[in-house]
Amino acid sequence: MTTRSETIIRIPTLRTPNLVLRAPGAQDYEAYVAFRASPRSRGTGGPYDRTASFSHFAELIGHWVIRGYGRWVVADPETDTALGIVGLMYPEDWPEAEIAWTVFDSAEGRGIAFEAASAARQYAYDVLGWSTVISCVLPDNTRSIALAKRMGATYEADYAHPEMGSLGIWRHVGPEALA
Amino acid sequence: MNRSSIPTIETGRLILRGPEPGDYPNFKATFASYRSRFMGGPLNPYEAWMLYAAEIGHWEIRGFGMWMIHDKSTDETYGMAGGWQPAGWPEREIAWIIWPDKSGKGYALEATHAVRSHYYANGWDSAVSYIDPMNLDSIRLAERLGAKKDPEAQTIDGSDAVYRHPAPAALKDSQLAHGIEMEIDHYADPMFKPKGWALD
Repeated sequence: MTTRSETIIRIPTLRTPNLVLRAPGAQDYEAYVAFRASPRSRGTGGPYDRTASFSHFAELIGHWVIRGYGRWVVADPETDTALGIVGLMYPEDWPEAEIAWTVFDSAEGRGIAFEAASAARQYAYDVLGWSTVISCVLPDNTRSIALAKRMGATYEADYAHPEMGSLGIWRHVGPEALA
Repeated sequence: MNRSSIPTIETGRLILRGPEPGDYPNFKATFASYRSRFMGGPLNPYEAWMLYAAEIGHWEIRGFGMWMIHDKSTDETYGMAGGWQPAGWPEREIAWIIWPDKSGKGYALEATHAVRSHYYANGWDSAVSYIDPMNLDSIRLAERLGAKKDPEAQTIDGSDAVYRHPAPAALKDSQLAHGIEMEIDHYADPMFKPKGWALD
């Protein structure tokens, strides 16, 4: 006997002046695999082969189900093309919940990560009621460090991760500072 | 997931539902154990969590995936079974894992028989299981399901054996299918004590 009734989660859509943050879906998979195979993914521990990228993409979606929050696909509001992956991430064995960002090659240099990460942070504070949030950045990822600083985050400590190695913990300004 | 939903499958003793956050501790404990040695384990907590999230996301990418096996009366979980095809898998697989302390009750047979029937009723015309040649419990389960080793089939990486399941037409109303259902009924019968060691 089979019934089709169980919807497992609804992923909210966020809109910013230039972007849409929406649920990741199967249509974004190839763009994600291509980005993860490119040298540009070094900043997030890559490059990754197709096998690893499948797992990571599946994990991206499952994260929403397990935690009730997660990372969005940042899309162009006109074309719905995926420009990057930005949002809230907290796998097990991670220091704390973090704001994570990744922008695909074709979309870099347009302030997309800043705009999307700021929206994700606002969501964490306003909708989820978080009082603090961090971002984990690999120590040689100078562009992400620059973005963390631009968002007002300050370096706090290093975290030794079993897979990723040493991660810098950057703590964001709290909700009261943004109010 | 906005668009897709995971169907629920009921059998005599079991209900199969999409994996949920509350089901994670048993999954983690199993993948931290020796039981997971044929499935890439044992895993550290980060790897186990990521794999569990990926079990869920697989549904969105492929449109099919692994169910959590629950006891129909108590809701207790016994393991997972379903369809599995991450990148690098040549064909769609029927896969399963039973928590170490829940083996020997025929739950894997009952669950895999049901998920195979479900996929056959929903358009699959074939299925395989990729099994480590040292994983004797799983090889026996594959054989009880009527799967046969297919030496011609492409493996994942050469270290696995491919067991090909009987095609939908060969399984439907067959002696094999009746035999599987009879064996499941025996496990479910509290008065019946099969001789020999009960496997998954």
